[in-house]
Amino acid sequence: MVNFELRRDRIVARWRDKKTEWVIEPRYWRNSTIAITCLFILPLFLYGFPHILTMFTTANLYAAIAIPLALQLLGTGRVNFGPQLYLGVGGYTAALLNLHFGWNPAMTLMATILVCAAIALILSPTTWIAKGLYFSLITLILPLTFLDITYIWGDIFRGEVGLVGMSPLLAFKKVTWNYIAYYYLSLILMLLYLLVCDRTVRSRIGVSMAAVNENENVARMMGVRVDAYKVFFYVAPSILTGIVGWFIVHTFRTFAGVTYLPLEFMAKILIIVIIGGRAFLYGAIPGAYLISIVEDSLRRLGPVNYFVFPLILIALIVVLPRGEGLWGLYKKRRPRDYFPKLHVRRE
Amino acid sequence: MLEITSVSKNFGGLAAVSDVSFTVKEGEVVGLIGPNGAGKTTLLNLICGIYKPNSGSIRFEGTDITGMPSNKICKIGISRTYQIPQPFESMTALAGVLVGVLNGKKRAHMSLPDASLEASYYLEFVGLFSKRDTLARDLNLYELRMLELARALATTPKLLLLDEVMAGLNPSEASKALDMIWSAQDQFAITILWIEHVMKIIMNATQRVVVLHYGKKIAEGPPREVTSDPKIIEAYLGAKYAQH
Repeated sequence: MVNFELRRDRIVARWRDKKTEWVIEPRYWRNSTIAITCLFILPLFLYGFPHILTMFTTANLYAAIAIPLALQLLGTGRVNFGPQLYLGVGGYTAALLNLHFGWNPAMTLMATILVCAAIALILSPTTWIAKGLYFSLITLILPLTFLDITYIWGDIFRGEVGLVGMSPLLAFKKVTWNYIAYYYLSLILMLLYLLVCDRTVRSRIGVSMAAVNENENVARMMGVRVDAYKVFFYVAPSILTGIVGWFIVHTFRTFAGVTYLPLEFMAKILIIVIIGGRAFLYGAIPGAYLISIVEDSLRRLGPVNYFVFPLILIALIVVLPRGEGLWGLYKKRRPRDYFPKLHVRRE
Repeated sequence: MLEITSVSKNFGGLAAVSDVSFTVKEGEVVGLIGPNGAGKTTLLNLICGIYKPNSGSIRFEGTDITGMPSNKICKIGISRTYQIPQPFESMTALAGVLVGVLNGKKRAHMSLPDASLEASYYLEFVGLFSKRDTLARDLNLYELRMLELARALATTPKLLLLDEVMAGLNPSEASKALDMIWSAQDQFAITILWIEHVMKIIMNATQRVVVLHYGKKIAEGPPREVTSDPKIIEAYLGAKYAQH
């Protein structure tokens, strides 16, 4: 039986011989409360601009892909160049089951989680055998292979045109309401991911995870089950990414591998992680918003867009502090570390 | 406590360790000496599971640990330090020790704040408490070695493998480090297997030394006796000196 205890500044949970503490200090919540409130009241001002709301919905989804990716980078100590593979897997699982078997969104969600977990488990030994550049190359190839498969079995996956007409999560009579609802849903999904990943990084798992990221051999010698950690942090973020695919299927109601699987999409996500701040999960949010605003405002330039967009990205990477990104500008004085300082008081 | 029975390890054609056997009793401090390239560190790596021996067996407190993964070996009570310090560079000193506290021997009723309190105890023991929030990459060599010691102690080992802790320390730091290791042995009741090049320290600190040369054990015994053995002098200084 889990036993909870509320203290002045923390919640203590005990279960058998295990004990967990959740430190709650409201004085540190001001800035994040302001930021989240801003995101929540945004639709009030943008009621009449559905395209901007769609843009922000996309930004939320980009962030929801980038946050688990950041967790994966920390947990496996390797750079995954193909997070969009699971976006494709999750999206196609949900879409095909919904179209051909008429499964409702709740059932397709379960199926998405199971399929992504199975595929990620099968591929997870790559984290044991490959390191550094080799791991990146293997993960880079996988989504491209999947893209080819969607072309080869075009009658199932409809590679070029994509699948259309999946059942929506929510359907209001007024179209604007739909935009607002999907904005909120994507926002909640993203904040949920942020909460889960943030709690993981700040927990005891996060400490061991940071050790794995730093030096696997030393971590193993100190008793960390390195192989298990690497598998877990390959599989769990993959499932989270797969759920984003499911979400895209049931909100935009179209899903095409050609949109999500190619290199451009991957580059966008990695750039969000870099611009947002490589070492910080929170950086993914400003990064995603910035990228989708820049992308959307450049779209009306026409073909020039293809030159200007990369130039702006390169400029951003050069100008922003190395490895610290946008979040580094906000937290200027703090050195890069994996989790907040642990203050130990001597009594 | 630790029984090593005719352990051999080859890297291709090179026999790094061949047919080495010795035992370490509980509460002992055993020195492992030998010229460069004698296979001392390889033997340490074999004990803590980084390499798997080609033949022979290693037993710790009755359990066979030959070829066991390092994390299990750590859990049953063997810990080590490194010849070249290998800190978690981007982690603070406290966090580095915290990894050991959280993953070493299982402790009941320990949350993350409790664990950091315990980690701070080990840091204070080695005299690094004031540096707890410094990133490990900003520490100097002496501090790094002490951090490694704290990290190793945090996993609550029964047997501690020290790999040249004194290398690169000046005499005053070395004597401080020696005091630290002695008091660690005293407080935590650990057994130590110690690789060292600094003979003066080995002579004072250990009860028994094992000498390796080209991967073979050539002598074993109290340090005074062993260092006067002509075979050892030959191994270290050449045949010319052994005659005198």
